[in-house]
Amino acid sequence: MTMRINLDISRISKFLPFQNEQMIILSLLLIIISGIGCSSEESSWERIEAAGVLRVGLDPTYPPFELTDGQNLWGLDVDLSHALADELGLSVEFSYFGYDGLYDALGTQQVDTLLSALVFMPNKTRDFSYSKSYFNAGQILVSLPHLEMNQVGDLEGMTVAVELGSEGHVLATRFEKQLQSLNILPLVSSDLALEALVNDKAEAALVDHISARLYRIKEPKLRISDHYLSDEPYSLVVRSRDQELLRQIDQALQNLSSSGELERIISTWLDQAK
Amino acid sequence: MSDFNSWLTLSRGRITYRAGLKIFLFALLVTFINPTPLLIIPGPQQSVKSSHPILAVHTRLTDEVEPWKIKRTLQMAREMGASRIVEFFPWAYYHAEDGGIAWDHPDLVVEHASTQGLKVIARLGLTPEWARPKDSSLNYLDSTAYDDFAEFASAFAKRYQGQVSHIIIWNEPNLSYEWGYRATSAEDYVDLLKVVYPAVKEASPTTQVLAGALAPTLEPAGSPWGLNDLEYLDEMYSNGASEYFDGLAVHAYGLAFPPESEPGTNMLNFRRVELIRDVMVRNSDRDKKIFITETGWNDHPRWALGVKPGQRISYTLSGLEFAEENWPWVESIAIWAFRFPAPTKSYMDYYTLVTPEFVTKPIYDALKEFSFQDSD
Repeated sequence: MTMRINLDISRISKFLPFQNEQMIILSLLLIIISGIGCSSEESSWERIEAAGVLRVGLDPTYPPFELTDGQNLWGLDVDLSHALADELGLSVEFSYFGYDGLYDALGTQQVDTLLSALVFMPNKTRDFSYSKSYFNAGQILVSLPHLEMNQVGDLEGMTVAVELGSEGHVLATRFEKQLQSLNILPLVSSDLALEALVNDKAEAALVDHISARLYRIKEPKLRISDHYLSDEPYSLVVRSRDQELLRQIDQALQNLSSSGELERIISTWLDQAK
Repeated sequence: MSDFNSWLTLSRGRITYRAGLKIFLFALLVTFINPTPLLIIPGPQQSVKSSHPILAVHTRLTDEVEPWKIKRTLQMAREMGASRIVEFFPWAYYHAEDGGIAWDHPDLVVEHASTQGLKVIARLGLTPEWARPKDSSLNYLDSTAYDDFAEFASAFAKRYQGQVSHIIIWNEPNLSYEWGYRATSAEDYVDLLKVVYPAVKEASPTTQVLAGALAPTLEPAGSPWGLNDLEYLDEMYSNGASEYFDGLAVHAYGLAFPPESEPGTNMLNFRRVELIRDVMVRNSDRDKKIFITETGWNDHPRWALGVKPGQRISYTLSGLEFAEENWPWVESIAIWAFRFPAPTKSYMDYYTLVTPEFVTKPIYDALKEFSFQDSD
């Protein structure tokens, strides 16, 4: 849409710190440009507060983060949703969608937020905003306790087990080029890669954080590094215009983190047998 | 000091027009000071060495602007053993309303592909703004613009005669989204073929025209999303399509099933292409070849239709072997997709063979090993 604007410069110049016409026009253009992108639509936060309900969308097919048997819903993200809602003085209402339909559901206002082990996606940021991360599912090194494996350099001369074709496998092939000697042992699952540690077939396993934590439930002696070799940060998602809701969520996440409640929830689902 | 004042006069909060102009010109000059870009030359002529010439790969160089990345992509595709690439050349990117065509980018891609010894299957699509109604989508191609599209397709075929062996007319026209958010119509698509095919043949008789690139889908007649590919193809034949294409492009994704899974009219899997072939045979078109221009399995951990990374490798290799042994009517199989210029951070990343940083994934290495089995 093209608009024609006729301006009487003399009528507005008295309000500006300079009178030169070109500078006035330049300033007005800057003001107009800086205004582009500002939405006049109302934030959802007032409506959510008034209703007392936070509508959360998720895809309940991803244990242990969210799963349903058709009647019950459980998982880390479900507990976190309840904890966040408590912090905000709200109750939670869950809606289920397929993984591919989550963003459409949020965009069409069927829910207020998505909490479903979702990773920041740069190409979505025109329409959606992401909260601070509540969990990092990135790749980490796992080893037996007497071998402290944290960094790439710690793998020099070692055998590292990986899941064939996985992100960890791709990373290991990159490390292979950086090190003088690295033996990569690809196995068909992350569980088998971790089992290779116990069976002394490898000094380290390079797997995702979730697989590492879940496997450690049956092999508690395994040491999981707290240094991530790649990042896969999980966040909540809101519509871009809902910045007040985002601020409230970030504050609530901060409170849960400070009180230890966030780590307790994570530990409940990743460190304890179910 | 007086010199400085002549450049920038600040007086009681005022910047003079002259000083402002000088600052603007200086800023403009600074923006033009850039290091000389590296000259990327195609290099010596190469040839593909592979014991499995059926292997091809769908590159994604459409949005790749750096010449060295274009060269590196095609070099790695050749080193993997792919004999062909499928690449998308959007009409909307190149063709101006006055008839001018910006050939720089397609020239770059085709020249580097030729130097690497790769055959090129070019997919043409996306309508320029000037050739479609206001506010319509890029995939909207009205019959009034068929001649314009034919003009571009024939110019493309003529320019790259001998380098681009095949062109695909449009993409997945049996999906509403790919047909400009309109109800799909095999009749309309055949009308498009009837305009484009003779124009291309006149411009470049050796260029092979591929129809379809049909999307595998079970959508029934009347669905707002699209139409079942088998029904759509049947309707194409009913509308006289057979004389207006030389081969059929097909998309054959394995989804969560192994490649050997039996095909069925009510399911989508790798062997659905056999049902497509049945439609062609039923319509007395058995001599035409099928080109699978998109295939593959996805190993995204969250996607319900994905598989484990190890399965992705084994399914891909056994799918290629299965096709070689059982499908003499399939000319080539292109894996979707070689690499994206930047991560999409979605399940699409889990279709690729190489990361945006050109780090090879294990599936690339497995395909490379497969290609050179029994080769000289």
